[in-house]
Amino acid sequence: MPESCEATVTLTGDLHARPAGALSVAAGRYPCAVQLSVNGTLADAKSVLAVMQLGASNGQQVTVRAVGPDAQDAVAALVAVLSAVTSAAD
Amino acid sequence: MVGIVLVSHSALLAEGTAELAGQIGGGTVTIATAGGTDDGRIGTSIDKVAAAIRRADAGSGVLILPDMGSSVLTVRTLLADDPDDLPAQLEVADAPFVEGTVAAVVTAAAGGSLKDVLNAAQEARHARKL
Repeated sequence: MPESCEATVTLTGDLHARPAGALSVAAGRYPCAVQLSVNGTLADAKSVLAVMQLGASNGQQVTVRAVGPDAQDAVAALVAVLSAVTSAAD
Repeated sequence: MVGIVLVSHSALLAEGTAELAGQIGGGTVTIATAGGTDDGRIGTSIDKVAAAIRRADAGSGVLILPDMGSSVLTVRTLLADDPDDLPAQLEVADAPFVEGTVAAVVTAAAGGSLKDVLNAAQEARHARKL
């Protein structure tokens, strides 16, 4: 069984270009696969274009799921980025 | 870290795309621009491209993103001449200019290899806006 981990964050701001970039940079540092899920739509967290296309906005729930090496660390890092998204960011 | 070179017919387009991608990527990646002709008109300059490649090189490879048409030809002409002073690891992305640059810069910022950065740029061909 590969290592896997999952967590859900409620956004306190919109997931615009800059936070999407921060998220994908963070995800790209880990060897595991990392997927985001918003309202049933999935995106590869390492693809900034896919993350932006999710159009996740303030108040929505984002689920982070990682499978593979360092899955727990990857989810913790992405939860930190998602929790820091504020309505002032663009 | 992989460096990025933007080759555009327009200096403003190259600089604006570099500014945007730099903001989204967190500002850690070197993005060098080669926009316009040597005398500031719309067009391309082989000398500007060569200089930008040297500026972007930090030893981990350089990805070149041309905007279209003769930007591609200028890059190909330079690489076909194979000047001694260019880095050994060079790739040219077949990718949309803005989306490809943003994807490449984010992947480079995460510490991706030149192959990873090239793939990220080229996968942007499939990214939908709507």
